[in-house]
Amino acid sequence: MGVLEFLGIRDRAGGARAAARDDDLFDDEFQRKLEYLAMVSKRVFSGAMRAERRTKKTGSGIEFADHRDYAPGDDIRYLDWHAFQRFDRLLIRLYEEEEDLSIYFILDTSSSMGFGEGQKLRQAKRLAAALAYVGLANLDRIAIVTATDEISGRMPTTRGKARIFRIFRFLSGVKADGETDLGEAMKTFVAQHKRKGLAVLLSDLYDPEGFERGINVLRFNRFEPYVIHLVDPRDGRPDVRGDVRVYDCETGAEREVTVTAKVLEKYQHAYDGYLDEVQRFCTTRQVSYFRADVDASFDELILRVFRRGGFLR
Amino acid sequence: MHFVGVPLATLLQVGALAGAVVVVFYILKLRRRPVAVPFEKIWERILRDKEATSLFSQLKRLFSLLLQLALLALLLLALGDPRPAANILEGRSIVVLVDASASMKAIDVAPTRIDAAKEEVKRLVRGLSGTDRMLVAQMDAAITPLSTMTSEIPDLEAAVAAIRPTDARVDFPRALRFAADTLHKLSSPEIIVVSDGALGTSLAEAASVDLGNVRLSYVPIGTRSKNVAITSFSVRRYPLDKARYEVMLEVTNTNDEPADVEISLLGDGQLTDLTNLRLGPKERLPRFYPNLSGASKNLEAKIALAGNVQDDLPADDRAFALLPERRRARIQVVTTGNMFLEAALLLDEYLEVTAVHPSRYPAAGAFDVTIFDGVTPNVAPGSGSLFYLNPNGENVPFKVGKTIEDTDPQVRLGFDELDEKHPILRHTILSDVNVARARVLEGDKEDKVIGKSHKGALLIAGRRAGVKFVALGMDVRETDFALRISWPMFVLNVINDFVEEDVQYISSFRTGSVWQIPASSAAETATLTLPDASTTTVPIKDGRAVFLGQHAGFYELSTGPGETGSFAANLVDASESDITPTKDLVVGRHAAGAVGEFKVGVRREMWIYLLAAVLAVTAIEWLTYHRRVTV
Repeated sequence: MGVLEFLGIRDRAGGARAAARDDDLFDDEFQRKLEYLAMVSKRVFSGAMRAERRTKKTGSGIEFADHRDYAPGDDIRYLDWHAFQRFDRLLIRLYEEEEDLSIYFILDTSSSMGFGEGQKLRQAKRLAAALAYVGLANLDRIAIVTATDEISGRMPTTRGKARIFRIFRFLSGVKADGETDLGEAMKTFVAQHKRKGLAVLLSDLYDPEGFERGINVLRFNRFEPYVIHLVDPRDGRPDVRGDVRVYDCETGAEREVTVTAKVLEKYQHAYDGYLDEVQRFCTTRQVSYFRADVDASFDELILRVFRRGGFLR
Repeated sequence: MHFVGVPLATLLQVGALAGAVVVVFYILKLRRRPVAVPFEKIWERILRDKEATSLFSQLKRLFSLLLQLALLALLLLALGDPRPAANILEGRSIVVLVDASASMKAIDVAPTRIDAAKEEVKRLVRGLSGTDRMLVAQMDAAITPLSTMTSEIPDLEAAVAAIRPTDARVDFPRALRFAADTLHKLSSPEIIVVSDGALGTSLAEAASVDLGNVRLSYVPIGTRSKNVAITSFSVRRYPLDKARYEVMLEVTNTNDEPADVEISLLGDGQLTDLTNLRLGPKERLPRFYPNLSGASKNLEAKIALAGNVQDDLPADDRAFALLPERRRARIQVVTTGNMFLEAALLLDEYLEVTAVHPSRYPAAGAFDVTIFDGVTPNVAPGSGSLFYLNPNGENVPFKVGKTIEDTDPQVRLGFDELDEKHPILRHTILSDVNVARARVLEGDKEDKVIGKSHKGALLIAGRRAGVKFVALGMDVRETDFALRISWPMFVLNVINDFVEEDVQYISSFRTGSVWQIPASSAAETATLTLPDASTTTVPIKDGRAVFLGQHAGFYELSTGPGETGSFAANLVDASESDITPTKDLVVGRHAAGAVGEFKVGVRREMWIYLLAAVLAVTAIEWLTYHRRVTV
């Protein structure tokens, strides 16, 4: 499966299903752009392998970091002879060790992500694929998990740009099904992943138990959460009129309502309020937050919004 | 309240069924449509406040159901066509008699009285109540119903539009009789006369009409009566000089003030004479134009007020006449010789006389008149009308009785009884004619006895199979009749009577009467061309076409190719020219009242308002539903 096929642009049916606005979204030109982008994090994590990321560790990198007194057993290759001549002390040169970064893509695959025409899940999968590609290109360690009220799927950690197709295959098999409980799912996630890193949460955050729980679990377990909030404008402006019985597509919870213009207006206010609430929560807790509109241009989203927000450089 | 549409019992049944259906549909509608949402919690947030108003929501649902039930109830009521009880009782049967006589052409009311009358009737029609029924009829010389007795407004309006004024006088008794007969045994009968009240003598004649309990109402039309009219117009040729003619014209001033009038006489459209004269108040002035000559055939008289001022009725300012046609009458005289007869025939140069001996009868050719002098042979075809002098009793269309003689010196033989108004006795005096010997004549029942002695009829006239005859039961040579001036007049009168060359002042017909127009007796119908160039087929009976003429002008009657004759018709009616409108109408003991109870624009059919209410409620339901006030 190629990149374009994954994105539905050049499928075997001739690309008929591809939306016009998605044309050339992830073509070769766009791939080249992605390769120049590096994923950055505000924090530096320790890594198991050398990569292109600076860590707190001093090690065998090439960039000088500090001196310390020589202790028996230290590699004498790192003795700073110039310092010895000037200060008559044996000092060991310390270098910043460049390590790889663990990036976890946590993809919400609850039923609400597939609501309507499934555009939220589709957009989330594309974003995950694109960001994963960027990570792989920067020799980062990429892992993808799918979450509902549990960790329903997992793609083990992988490195190297050549593994992107594995990621694509994994993402292709992801379907939206199940209830959302990010709190429980994240508890499972942190228990399974001891190595800390970036936790990119791609979700609509429709969590009946509260969207805060899942994010807090990540924060409290020293992961750096990046929240990519998938937003479908149609969720905020439902095409519903009259006497209806609304039911939750995940929980099946029902509620009778007579939808009038006034009720619709109230609903839109409530929906916008919910989005603001999520953003406010993330901002106050210094959690990176990006609102990804499913109707927004994918190119625009990747190349401008994320970059402006410091997600890419 | 009464239901004149669908009966109440049926309405209740239908209402119960339809109401049940509405309720069932409403309950079905209350089953809410399931709609999936991505996150129900957001709905929960907004509905926290909403639940507090659920009672109001329930009420709105109930209101919606009530609206729909109200719609159903209104529709059913409309189907029932409810009427107030008072309205049922008020249903009237009305005959509207619209005067379409010549006086209604007066223009004192703009544009004309007839148009004003039509407007009044339209107003009545629009003001009819739901149960009222009306018939619109035009009254002139005849009575013409223009609609049925109906409550349909469009039909009645079409009837009003069909009213056309005529040049005839109105036959009010006939119209009143028609209206009374129409309203016989109908509820709340009413006759509404829409007229200027210028009904002439017919108003007095109408007093004999029994109106019973029929209410009589009157809508007066017209404001003033400034009119001068031609009330008589005739032309005749002189009997003995048919190249010349004289015209008699009568003008009448119907005003209470004197009027200066200009009279124009036109022959074939060319001005022949122009006269100015002054008419006193209500004055009728006859005027003669003697010794006129010329080739004119169509004569027309016009009058106008001095100063080129038009009077209120232009219709009677013109009159038409047709000069009797000049032609030589072909006379066949079957005689052995009668000097007196031959001398009399010599007096008229327009007679083409052929004398034939009885043994040579018939002479060659066709004749207008055949005179049998003392002989009665079998009548040959082409003999025309028959004039028997001293018939002997054979081959005659009447019985010839015994010979009577003047033997009693106390009671001389002669004409003891004479029909002096008969045309053949015009300008003659026969009452003192001495007769030595005569024969009594006995005709059929329909024959006319014109002269009669104490011993029996001596002069009779009649018609057999369309052929006219006159018989004189004496030899004029045995009387002193032949010595008198009356003799040639009598002979010429008989011939003129036969050949229809009327020397009386009847050169035009009078509108509004049944005309008997001379025509070929061989034809059964004739084509009559009216002054407006339209044609109609009229029947011919006994050699006369019968037609009720109502318009003035020149007419043409045709019974076939080459058999076309013309004649004129005039209003010439002094009573009709008196267009003084009357404000009150009194027919015998009945004084007509004013019309009432006609309120324009107020329809009493409630179903219209019910349907309007249905539309209004539907609009409210539609608006409130789409604005989600109701559900």
